[in-house]
Amino acid sequence: MNALSSDVPVVDDRLGVAVLGVAHIPHAMSYARCLTNSSTARLVGVYDESVELGRRVADRFGAVFQPDLDSLISSADVQAVVVCSATINHRPLVAAAAARGLHVLCEKPIATSVEDAEAMIAICAEHGVQLHTAFVTRFYPLVARVRAAVQDGSLGELLGMVGGNRGRPPLPPQYPDWITNQSESGGGALMDHSVHVTDIMRHISGLEVASVTAEVDSLFWESGVDDMALMSLTFDNGAIGSVDPSWSVPAGNAWDYDFYLRVIGTKGSVSINDLAESLQLVSSAVAPGMRLVPFGVDIDALMVDAFVASVRSGEFVSPCADGIDGLRALETALAGYESSSRSATVALPSAGT
Amino acid sequence: MVNTTSSSSILQPIRVGIVGAGYIANAHVGAYVETPGVTVVGVADPVVAKAERVARRGGAVAMTSIDELLDAGIDLISICTPSPTHPDLVEQAVVAGIHVLCEKPVARTYADALRIVDAARVAPGIVMIGHVSRFEPDHRRAQQIIAAGRLGELRMMSQTITSSMPGWSQDGWLSDPSQSGGPLVDLAIHSFDYLAWVNQSEPVRVHAVASDTAVGPATYALATVRYANGALGLVETSWAHPTSHGFKVSTELVGADGRINWDYDGLIGGVLNTDDGNSVRFDPLGNRGFVAEIGAMVEAIRTGSPSPVTASEGLSALKTSLAALESVRTRQPVDLTTWSPS
Repeated sequence: MNALSSDVPVVDDRLGVAVLGVAHIPHAMSYARCLTNSSTARLVGVYDESVELGRRVADRFGAVFQPDLDSLISSADVQAVVVCSATINHRPLVAAAAARGLHVLCEKPIATSVEDAEAMIAICAEHGVQLHTAFVTRFYPLVARVRAAVQDGSLGELLGMVGGNRGRPPLPPQYPDWITNQSESGGGALMDHSVHVTDIMRHISGLEVASVTAEVDSLFWESGVDDMALMSLTFDNGAIGSVDPSWSVPAGNAWDYDFYLRVIGTKGSVSINDLAESLQLVSSAVAPGMRLVPFGVDIDALMVDAFVASVRSGEFVSPCADGIDGLRALETALAGYESSSRSATVALPSAGT
Repeated sequence: MVNTTSSSSILQPIRVGIVGAGYIANAHVGAYVETPGVTVVGVADPVVAKAERVARRGGAVAMTSIDELLDAGIDLISICTPSPTHPDLVEQAVVAGIHVLCEKPVARTYADALRIVDAARVAPGIVMIGHVSRFEPDHRRAQQIIAAGRLGELRMMSQTITSSMPGWSQDGWLSDPSQSGGPLVDLAIHSFDYLAWVNQSEPVRVHAVASDTAVGPATYALATVRYANGALGLVETSWAHPTSHGFKVSTELVGADGRINWDYDGLIGGVLNTDDGNSVRFDPLGNRGFVAEIGAMVEAIRTGSPSPVTASEGLSALKTSLAALESVRTRQPVDLTTWSPS
């Protein structure tokens, strides 16, 4: 038998990553899990202004909870951070990490205002650190297939895109209450979900949003923020688009979230739907009625690994999203709110037309 | 204040050889390339052009025989040759002291499969049979749900795997029942293995009916399996469907407290249509089953764990296949608790 393994310990060369802010508890738990399981990174500490929340995440993964932000980000063991606080707190945490020379993966939406997002991009550039936006949807293998079909010319010139990311309302107790608090989250369903779909449309097409016309309301739940929206887009090549980011999935539905995209061009069309990768389950031990149980790849893990690879190589690894991507999706969502409140189409200055 | 414990260590790459460079070797080499910590050293096939094509994907050297692979110094061999060649190759690899990943079916005949079980018993390394269905993400997710007790004890199971006659086999060996055993041995064995595994109960009785079709005898078959826990399983297998039918898998698992089903028509992640008349369906599964299968083998090697799928399990699935063939011949049910394949 040939020697197949060695027990010689060496210096740990995994990237040390801290989680700053865990107020988005479900996502913070997932990113902490990905860091714990990663072969290229390790979770070295967790900070949150709430001791209870911070400890909950740290204890789950056997990591250290550090109530003092500055101690954590000045540690020699930390080379990068994941920011997963309430959206309103992204800016101070990103700024503190960047000032310490730490690379950042920031939860979406990147911020609640264009001013904050631009400030985050600027300070990361100033300190020469990468700023990633956590657009996990880019990591669906099916999205890569669509992007390839656009890039290899199979679709010709793009004419239009329809996409959606519907879901259940992120209400307590599974979700923290800040997500449905306008001042901390920047908005409801339109802010929470449209950024994913807008980003995917930009990502697969290379186009920029030129104008936004949106209908926004809150007729589904008593959440205090918008829970339904339809956003019509035009792109800088004249293509059209529509985005459904609604929390329109009722209790008892067979699935909680979906993501779909349909694209038509002058030479072809393509459509994808992530629900295809599901089993149909009926179990009196789980829930009444039928449930779809996904078995797709772990896109959170792919994103975290790609973030780590980007930091190591010094360059953004495809398909990672940067701060500008986060800003563009935020601008589009904010234009949607403005359009709805003014009942008018809003042009986006960033489209470069 | 932060966790500074260090747990990673330098691991020498596992040196891999692949013998047989046909359809399934392509799946293996694609998975090895995606697996950290392994190096494909050589790919051996008497047809040089096939060996070269697979070797190129793996960044490996094309060879003509297992002897050359063993001389090159390998830790693990993938046996991807026609079923009748399996026992000689497994025995040679075991004597050389290396780990073995042998494609399903474990062998063509019961006597050959017993040789492989005997070889595995004395092997210094791991002998794994490549029942990839267990590692396909859909099959695996269903198994996890059942193992967690969500369906209660299983009662009724069915699996359909149907396609046209595969066109890829060297010299058409799959079309020759004496070499392949037809779809009841080569294809339905996926279902026989998976259903027994997910049900955690041995098959006790098999009855099968089959049609002789334009592509060969018993190339469309239906097998009914009774399990020790009382569960029933229906296995539909076919190489007789039209080419346009594609490769279809459909599974239903019903227990005392619930039901799971999925099928590959519902597994189309997306469709790309272009104005040249082409339509491309996006398969979300891709090579994930083989990547997981080979990942399990590598993990077992690294950790010194037992074989993820033992030769005895491969033998059990083959026995069900052979009993189904026997039932087709005798037109009678076969009692697996007393029947012994000749």
